[in-house]
Amino acid sequence: MKISTKDLWAGGLLMFLAILGLFINGGFLGIGLEQHTLGSARRMGPGYMPMLVFWLQFALGAFVFILALTNGPDPLERWTKLDFTTLAIGVAVGLIIWRVMESMGISTNYVQVGVACFGALCILAISPAWRPLGLVLASFAIFALLLEPLGLMLSIAALCVVSAVADRDHNPISVAGMTVFLCVLCWFVFIYELDIRVPLWPTIFG
Amino acid sequence: MELFANLAHGFGVALSLDNLLFALLGALIGTAIGVLPGIGPVATISLLLPITFGQPATTAIIMLAGIYYGAQYGGSTTAILLNLPGEVSSVVTALDGYKMARNGRAGAALTIAALGSFFAGSVATLVVAASGPMLTSVALSFGPADYFSLMLLGLIISAVLAQGSVLKAIAMVVLGVALGLVGTDVQTGQQRFTFGVPELSDGLGFVSIAMGIFGLGEIILNLERPEARQVMSGKVGSLMLTREEFRRSVPAVLRGTAIGSVLGILPGGGASLSAFGSYMLERKISKYGHTLGTGAIEGVAGPESANNAAAQTSFIPLLTLGIPANAVMALMVGALIIQGIQPGPRMVEAQPDLFWGLICSMWVGNLMLLVINLPMIGMWVKLLQVPYKYLYPAILVFCAIGVYSLNNSVFDVYQTLFFGILGYIFSKLHMPAAPLLIGFVLGPMMEEHLRRAMLLSRGDVGVFIERPISATLLALAAIVLAAMALPALRSGKDKALAE
Repeated sequence: MKISTKDLWAGGLLMFLAILGLFINGGFLGIGLEQHTLGSARRMGPGYMPMLVFWLQFALGAFVFILALTNGPDPLERWTKLDFTTLAIGVAVGLIIWRVMESMGISTNYVQVGVACFGALCILAISPAWRPLGLVLASFAIFALLLEPLGLMLSIAALCVVSAVADRDHNPISVAGMTVFLCVLCWFVFIYELDIRVPLWPTIFG
Repeated sequence: MELFANLAHGFGVALSLDNLLFALLGALIGTAIGVLPGIGPVATISLLLPITFGQPATTAIIMLAGIYYGAQYGGSTTAILLNLPGEVSSVVTALDGYKMARNGRAGAALTIAALGSFFAGSVATLVVAASGPMLTSVALSFGPADYFSLMLLGLIISAVLAQGSVLKAIAMVVLGVALGLVGTDVQTGQQRFTFGVPELSDGLGFVSIAMGIFGLGEIILNLERPEARQVMSGKVGSLMLTREEFRRSVPAVLRGTAIGSVLGILPGGGASLSAFGSYMLERKISKYGHTLGTGAIEGVAGPESANNAAAQTSFIPLLTLGIPANAVMALMVGALIIQGIQPGPRMVEAQPDLFWGLICSMWVGNLMLLVINLPMIGMWVKLLQVPYKYLYPAILVFCAIGVYSLNNSVFDVYQTLFFGILGYIFSKLHMPAAPLLIGFVLGPMMEEHLRRAMLLSRGDVGVFIERPISATLLALAAIVLAAMALPALRSGKDKALAE
């Protein structure tokens, strides 16, 4: 078989996003989430351009999809069982955390998004193949979570520690040294020189 | 001569203390990221965008431009010394440059790379200065329909010249345009695709997209394939060129400059394409063409001149038409808009300080880069010895703080995270991300011009082929697309962009 799996997925992704867009826009089978006015070609409403763009994208996605059947072989990397499991559990846990926090009304400053992302990404990182992806993004999530309550210094430290796990060569001493160095550097660049408005130390207790 | 009066005015702006300092800062940062593999100008410029808010527009753009062409200089250093191209545009340089280094001529290769770049940069700066006002006067006669067709042509060319499948690249452009739809509709004020999130009413964050896809995505991929870093072996050696080397380089530099100046103007062309073009040309034309690939100095002199010339001339479409030629220029548009300046043909008139100051600072910056690169080469080699394990957390921290400080909002940090995931998927599926960024920037402008054109023509689509300028541009776009459908040309392009 000469199927290009990469292109197959790429085409599928493009078509999926296009249908999603059309659905939200309201130009698809008459149903729509936001229902933008289409208008006419002379007086285009807010929904006109999105309709054009998403139909074009759908057509291109379909082309990519169809051509993928003959222009391979171009397989994706092999996924192990662990890759599948961690992805499935990660997404599930993320969604559950998000739902629970949302229903408890904890949603100031997108904290529910952050916690859900962080949880999901950490579970994802259990599988070695996902580790760089999971931990790099998780370090970003924890930075966003901690920045306003705990201040810049502690969030930098958290980002460093989480992201450092992604690289096998790090040991506790190198991480500690790097963290201190980056804290000082960021204090100098962002606080002393640029004077950005962000708490430096924990404000939650004070 | 008006040109000289304008240039004199420009030098007045470029030589003010602030602008000199920021040009130097930009050149230094650019060289540093050029030397370091794994972080490119797109990620760096998006990283530093927030820092430029406090500066006047001219100073900000001067610094960002310095980063861009500085990276072209720096990228050649690692390509020559370690066979590790710091930037895509230096991939060709590594072919002959590294061989020269192994033959003990590393110093000569570095010298000709810097001298060639400086010469090319100076010439290309003049090209920008001369053609800018000329093109501007043409652009002023453009109506909305012409603008729409011009942007369409730009998007198609940039997709055609992107690496890999043209079809996928065009699809990515369209996806970029789709992402650009998010936010408040300018004409009716209706919220589109915002899902009730107040932060999205201004649209998706340009910096978040660029940094997520190019910054985070790149770090993740680098960590996934931990290639053993080569250790620098051997010495740089004498920086002096022999007379023979100098004689052979001159024609290559001239040809490289010419090809780079032309290809740089093309949307999507930019530095890497010109470097490849120049290498191909040297192989065909040069008397020593058959020795290319074995450490021939032409293979360094030509492409290095070409990529730097292209880096300068790719400012032409931006400064005259307001259309970005590549992802870096798309960032410049973002920077200008944040500063409250609408890029376009009126910029030369309305912002003479910016236009002429930038042009002159390019030349000054090139001079600085010559000094930064040649005598101080040892310092940059040292920088290469910083292991990646220390580098990537630092990049992450700077990314995170930079994104946050845009609007003082953690929402932007989550947005970046989301685009990091998307960028990862794109790279796994070989979907080129640079066309997406260009589509995202041009999309809203295209919608505006399309709606205006249709309103003026009372809903008649014919306006796009009735106006001569628009018709010509559309015909060009059709020709470009049709040409790519020819199998012979397509395989030629794949060969040129491969390696």
